[in-house]
Amino acid sequence: MPFPNVRLSNRPLHFIYLCDCSGSMAAQGKMQALNQAIRQSLPGMAEVARQNPEARVLVRAVRFADQAAWHLAEPTPVQQLQWRDLEAGGITAMGDALNLVASALQSPPMEERALPPVLVLISDGQPTDDFDAGLANLMRQPWAQKAVRLAIAMGHDADLDVLQQFIGPEPMGRSKSPRRPLQASNATTLAQYIQWASTAVVGAASMPASRVAPAGASLPESGSNIPLPDLPPTLLDPSDDVGPLVW
Amino acid sequence: MTAWQPPRACSVIGAAHQRRGQPCQDASLSVSLGSRSGTLQLMVVADGHGSAHYALSHRGSALACQVAQQAVQVALVHTALADHQGWQQLLQQELPATIQQRWLEAIKADWQQCSEADDPAFSPLSYGTTLGLVLLAPQWWGCTGLGDWDLVGVTHQGSAELLSEERDHSGSEATGSLCQPPEQQQWQQRARLEVGSTLRALVLSTDGVRKSCATDADYLRLCAGVVDLQNSDELQAGLAQITAEGSGDDVSLAIALRGPAQLRHARWGGVLLAGAALALGGWLWSRRETPLQAIARELCAQPEQIRSTLSQRRAQFRLLLAQPQAASQLRQRVAVDPLGALIATSQGEAVPGCPELTRELTWQWQRARAPQPAANGKMPAAAMPGSAPVNP
Repeated sequence: MPFPNVRLSNRPLHFIYLCDCSGSMAAQGKMQALNQAIRQSLPGMAEVARQNPEARVLVRAVRFADQAAWHLAEPTPVQQLQWRDLEAGGITAMGDALNLVASALQSPPMEERALPPVLVLISDGQPTDDFDAGLANLMRQPWAQKAVRLAIAMGHDADLDVLQQFIGPEPMGRSKSPRRPLQASNATTLAQYIQWASTAVVGAASMPASRVAPAGASLPESGSNIPLPDLPPTLLDPSDDVGPLVW
Repeated sequence: MTAWQPPRACSVIGAAHQRRGQPCQDASLSVSLGSRSGTLQLMVVADGHGSAHYALSHRGSALACQVAQQAVQVALVHTALADHQGWQQLLQQELPATIQQRWLEAIKADWQQCSEADDPAFSPLSYGTTLGLVLLAPQWWGCTGLGDWDLVGVTHQGSAELLSEERDHSGSEATGSLCQPPEQQQWQQRARLEVGSTLRALVLSTDGVRKSCATDADYLRLCAGVVDLQNSDELQAGLAQITAEGSGDDVSLAIALRGPAQLRHARWGGVLLAGAALALGGWLWSRRETPLQAIARELCAQPEQIRSTLSQRRAQFRLLLAQPQAASQLRQRVAVDPLGALIATSQGEAVPGCPELTRELTWQWQRARAPQPAANGKMPAAAMPGSAPVNP
C-alpha cells in the first residue's frame, strides 16, 4: 500500500502594498523614490522567497488618489513581478483603499491554508475620505486581523495617527520591532524600510513558528501573529543619522 | 467489536527546520499499557512552538509525551477500563492537572540540568508545546490535550471525518500551550470519550500535516489512506514528502487501527513497545517478579520482536554511552520505564532473560558505538525521562 497520493501545497503568502498616489507625492521626488524603492527591493524579496519554498510569495498593489484601484490586481509570484511605475495625482482616498483590500482578504478568495498576509501602507498625507469606515471594514476580515500590518510615513505631513490606527495600538515597552509608523524623510530611508518589509518581514512571515495564544484573545493582537524582525540598527532610533531631511 | 491494535507514531523533522539546522520540535509516542482490567493503548503527539521565544520547545515536547505516558500509567492503576465515567473525568480534569504539574516539574529539572550560568531565568515559555493524547480501550476511546493538533476518525467504509481540532485560533499561528497558566488552558474543549465507537481507525497529527495538505479534503484523504500503510519506512518517507512539498513544518502522525494483533505484528515488524508496557502492567498487579524480570520475560516471549523493540531505544543506547551517569536515573525509574531500566542495567551487568535478548542487547550496544549516519530527517525515539531527544 503506497503512501496516499493527495494534493500537497506550500502556503500562499500575500504581500500587498497600499500606495498613496495623491498629488503631493509628485513633490520632491517622492513618487519616483517609492517606485524605485519597490523596484529595487524585488530581487531581495525573490531571494527570500527562494530560500523559503514552503511559502509562495504573491505580491499585489493598490494605488489610492481620487479613488482606490488595483495597480497590480493579480497575486503575482515575486519572481515574475515587473513593477510598473505609479503616478501621482489627486487626493487621498485611503479609506477606499482599505475597502479594496478588505474585499481581497475575504475567504474565499483567500485560501484556507494561507499564511498571515503582509500589508504595507505608504502615505505622505492625510486621508480625504472616510478612513475610519474603511479601517473598520478591513478589520472585520479575520485575515486582516491576522495580518502583519506595517505603515511607512513619507515626510512630515503624513498623518501618523491614522497610520498608527492601521497598525494597531503600540504595545507597552520598548521594542526593536516597529509597532509604530516608520518615518522616511528621504529616499534612502524609504528604500531601507521597503527593503526590510520585503525581505526580513517576508522571511519571518514565510515560516511562522507557532506561538502561545494571548490570554482571552480568540484572534491575535494586531501584528503580533508574526514576531516582527528587528529593524536594521541604523533605523532603530529616529535620532540616528539616516540622511538628510528632504521630505 | 474488534480490539485496537497497538498504535504507532512517527515524527519527522520539517524541511524548513532541517534546512536551517534547527531541531525537530515535534515529538510523538505510542505504547500499549497493561492493567488488571485490560490493555489500554496510548498515542501522543506534541508540537514545540519553535522560534527564539521557545528555544527549548523541542525538549518541552519530548517531555510532554513522557509525562503524559506516566500520568496515564498511574491513572490506569487506579481506574478500571470499564469505568467510563471515571475515564471521562480523568480526561477532562485529572489527567490535564497531573500532566501540567509533571510537565512543569520535568522542565524545571531539565532546566537545572542543562542551563548555563549566563542563560536567562527559567521560564516555562522556553519549553512551550502543544499536547494531544488519545486513549484506546476495548470498549471506548478518548482524547484530551491542548493546542492545534487534529484528530481524525476513519470508518470501515474508508471515509474520514475530523473529530477534534482547535477552534479558537483557527487559521492563525497562535495555539494553546502547556506553558500557559492553568487558568488559560482549555483542556476541557478537547476532552472527549466515545463508548461503542465503530470507527476503524483514529489518526492523530500535529498541525504541520494538515497545513501541508492543499485543502481539508486532501488532509482527510491522507488520513483515510495512511492507516493502511504496510511499512513504517513508508510512513516516515511519506511524512518527509509532506513537509518538503507542503508547510515545511515538523510533522507527526499517530495511528490506531482496529484488527487482529497478529496481523499487525506481521505488518509492522515490531515497531511497538507493547511488550514493555504489558510487562509493567503484569508487575503492577502481581509483583511476583521484578520489573526487569518481567520485561525480560515479555521480550523473550517474542524473540523475533526483540530487535525492533530495542531499536526504538537507539537514542537511549547512545545517550547512555555519552552520559553513563544517566543509567542510575533510568534504573530508578524502572516502574515507569522498565525497558529503559533494562537497557541501562545491561550496560554494566548481565540482565535476566533469554540468550536472544542478551545477543540483541550486545548488538545494540555495538551499533550505538558505531559512528552515526548522516541526518535523514527522522526524529529519534525519546532517550530517557527528563532528557529530550537529541536531533540527529
